[in-house]
Amino acid sequence: MTKQADKPKKRPGVCIPWDEKVKELPEITGDAELVQRVWEETDALAYTYVWHCLVSF
Amino acid sequence: MAKDTEALYAERFSRYTTALRNGRPDKVPIRPFVAEFTAKYAGYTCQEVTQDFQKAFDAACKCAADFDWDAVVGNMVYVWTGLTQAMGTKYYAAPGVEISADTGFQYLEPPEDEAFMPPEDYDALIEDPTGYLLNVWLPRISSDIVAPGEPNTERNNLALVKGGMAMMQYFSGFGVQGQRLREECGTVSAIAGILKAPLDILADKLRGYLGLCTDLMERPKKVLQACEALQPHLAHVALTSADPAKQVPITMWMHRSCVPFISFDQFDTIYWPTMKPIIETLWGEGYQVMLYAEGKWGAHLDRFAELPDASIIYHCDKDDIFEVHSKIGHKFAISGGMPNTVLAFGTPDEVRERCKAIIDGVAKDGGYIMDASAIMQNTARVENVQAMTDFTREYGVY
Repeated sequence: MTKQADKPKKRPGVCIPWDEKVKELPEITGDAELVQRVWEETDALAYTYVWHCLVSF
Repeated sequence: MAKDTEALYAERFSRYTTALRNGRPDKVPIRPFVAEFTAKYAGYTCQEVTQDFQKAFDAACKCAADFDWDAVVGNMVYVWTGLTQAMGTKYYAAPGVEISADTGFQYLEPPEDEAFMPPEDYDALIEDPTGYLLNVWLPRISSDIVAPGEPNTERNNLALVKGGMAMMQYFSGFGVQGQRLREECGTVSAIAGILKAPLDILADKLRGYLGLCTDLMERPKKVLQACEALQPHLAHVALTSADPAKQVPITMWMHRSCVPFISFDQFDTIYWPTMKPIIETLWGEGYQVMLYAEGKWGAHLDRFAELPDASIIYHCDKDDIFEVHSKIGHKFAISGGMPNTVLAFGTPDEVRERCKAIIDGVAKDGGYIMDASAIMQNTARVENVQAMTDFTREYGVY
């Protein structure tokens, strides 16, 4: 990819980064990786919706 | 799946994928991109297949069952107006609503001064493309979605929920449709995954073609930066919608970023540097890209020839397919070349004559897939499509 594209401000697949969301949560006493993974997977669904509105419809 | 259907699927799959990789299969594969033609054949109106995607799936299956085709698209009437209406999308004319029930859906490009993205928004798009689309673009293109900070409405919330749920329902349907085509018809799902060039997206959905033309003259650096910002996201969309088995190609729908719509210099300095890396990235991940070159892109064959061997399939619309073959046929498979005008207004004899010319001139060493030049709507005559199919089956044997 070209230079500008090498460092996107927000990664593809991301609407609300986990780093931002985790600050809103109390301390995760259980499996933090599980919470992060599922957050990122569902966040990616919204990303898919937005970008397919642009590209596919 | 019945054993004979399974065997038929395997035979067609081998034929199609061999040709995709510029190889020579047993016969010339047939892979028509049939859109509203399926409605005509199955006895539906354009409205029915555009408003009800299950009818579109049924129509595609009926065609696949009746015609001896190797591959088809699960639904080539790709814009489901049920979804766009649920979201309040402003830029489609839907058959049976804004236009007659027997006309294919139409994209409505806004006037230049009403472009969905004004030129002062370039920096916002470049800074955060996803945020811009969600917070600025979606509210502009929808009659119901509102921008953050604006008074929220029930219609806003419903439009977002309905749009998301509708998209999930529709996309999920393609998996079922692919299985149905295989099990009921022995037919391959021809493509998976979608890609458009950054510059085409800027023209199609953001600035409009006229607005982009002005930008290319007045603010070319912003245009380039915007294309670079869109690049990784468009690659990601292509990758995440592609065939998990990496057997059938991602399709890149190519619109107005070629000469004479833009200049050679604009192609070489903006379009190609922001498009070529995406194709190379996808190839690096194991995916071919079909360049569905709508109109005439032959002025840029030298650029396409820079791509790795077999990384693309070049689809001919108005290009001279024999010239395309002479310049890049040694590197890439080619599809298309049967003019839609002949399928719509010609005779079966004229169709057969054209098929013969293409098979003799382009397909003799393999690496060719029979298809119309452009997506086949309800103007294509059934007897002509039958003639194209039957002749290719009989004559296109290696």
